[in-house]
Amino acid sequence: MANPEVNLLFHQPIVDHAFTTDGSVLAVTKDNSVELYERHGHGFTLKDELKGHDLVVTSVDIAPNSGKIVTCSQDRNAYVWEPTATGWKEGLVLLRINRAATFVRWSPNEEKFAVGSGARVIAICYFEEEGNWWVSKHLKKPIRSTILSVNWHPNSVLLAAGSADAHARVFSAFIKGVDQRPEPTPWGERLPFNTVCGEFLNNSGGWVHDVAFSPSGNALAFTAHDSSVTIVYPSGPDQPPQAVMTVSTHQLPFTTLTWITEEEIVAAGHDCEPFRFRGSVSQGWGSVGALDSSKSRSSSIARESSARDLFKQMDLKGKNVNTAATDDIQLKTIHQNTITRIRPYEGDAAHGGVKKISSSGIDGRIVIFPVGGARPAFTH
Amino acid sequence: MAANQNWRLIDVDALDPELTYPAELLSPPFEPVPTSAIQQLGQQCRGLVQRGESSEALRIALESVPYGADEAGKDLHCSTVVEILGSIKQSEMSATLNTIYSSSEAGSELLDTLMKYLYKGMAKKDPSQSGTGGASSGMSVLLSWHEKVVEIAGLGSIVRVMTDRRTV
Repeated sequence: MANPEVNLLFHQPIVDHAFTTDGSVLAVTKDNSVELYERHGHGFTLKDELKGHDLVVTSVDIAPNSGKIVTCSQDRNAYVWEPTATGWKEGLVLLRINRAATFVRWSPNEEKFAVGSGARVIAICYFEEEGNWWVSKHLKKPIRSTILSVNWHPNSVLLAAGSADAHARVFSAFIKGVDQRPEPTPWGERLPFNTVCGEFLNNSGGWVHDVAFSPSGNALAFTAHDSSVTIVYPSGPDQPPQAVMTVSTHQLPFTTLTWITEEEIVAAGHDCEPFRFRGSVSQGWGSVGALDSSKSRSSSIARESSARDLFKQMDLKGKNVNTAATDDIQLKTIHQNTITRIRPYEGDAAHGGVKKISSSGIDGRIVIFPVGGARPAFTH
Repeated sequence: MAANQNWRLIDVDALDPELTYPAELLSPPFEPVPTSAIQQLGQQCRGLVQRGESSEALRIALESVPYGADEAGKDLHCSTVVEILGSIKQSEMSATLNTIYSSSEAGSELLDTLMKYLYKGMAKKDPSQSGTGGASSGMSVLLSWHEKVVEIAGLGSIVRVMTDRRTV
């Protein structure tokens, strides 16, 4: 298996990142701006900066076809950035929320996007030709706390949301005049705006960090702060789900997850490395181990420790420079802090599976992991 | 309003009439458990311990957790668990836990439950009540168990003690 590609961009947290479809441009959040990097051979060079938010940017997403970027921030605003000949043109979105915006994602058809917030609402935003601006409609009931993540169903109507009230929910975000009536799915048939198609909770609770529909849209996975990954298979409208499977893991909680194929999920979080889960509705789900294949870290990480640190090690403990750096300064994982987001990078989960995933971390790294074949089964 | 008031501590949500966050939302209500049933269970476990079947006693105690009991009942069951833990030798801890962990599908959940009791045991003000002797020895028993549980069930079991609303 190929080695992961590690890029240390800066020494600040990256809370969210997004690539264009061809992988040539990378958008990362950095404090209250979003930086755009262009790929040059094996590295990335800073190309542009999207400035406009007053407070920390919490999320960024790039529409795969139109190339429009949407960002949202703790300043309660969201902007849509359109590429023009003279640079990026920003458009303010009327979110009408009184708390921080926490998460934003384009719908697959790129006509809408959803913004999660601390105001216990999800703003579903769409473009209004008349006023020439982005307006929003609120999904409100029965959200009891901050929305931490949203994820669109492939049909661009259903929306899953994970909340700090420990529930993962599936809503209808059908906007009259924008959406066509969708094909019936196991989640529901008639779907007026704000229909709650499902509400799920773990046994041991814990706020829900991330949610994701499977590639077909016929299953939902979510990960909560009880170190678990739960997969829900719906059976039909207004029926209890066919199966709800929870995998409680040995690890620290996962903050993000993504589907690789219909029967495989990768999740990552506070343990600083991605883990793989595999299963199906008939066989059940289980953890099959870490994705991070090489535990002996390459020199790229050792290089980073400052000369002062190394001197201190030698001075205090009489340790050799080379071993000191790897012994107790560095984690054994590639990311040196919590992984904040993983996304598919190469390949399509619905067609043949994701081949590579990208991850961003609080350590300022962007890592591209090959997903490849599984390692031998987990023993512990 | 005082100028030095810490505005970060003001609960602004309390002023929101639309905000309701009932506790039942997170944990479904449990059937109340009478104290007599907990006492009976405790006696059954103690009997097993006396016959040298501490491991079995531990499994039974962890499988029948009185989530719906009142505080006194919960304390009583906690004492039972701590007593059983004290009766198992240090050298047999890992084997006992492994048996419980691999015995069934729910093995991992049983260890999560045990973790809850370890923390509850540590939080108790009067460890001599638990029948393990002085404060220091009772605590050291719990700490050794804690180490062994983490070895088998991982850090996830600690995290789940914090998130789980089904308190013991």
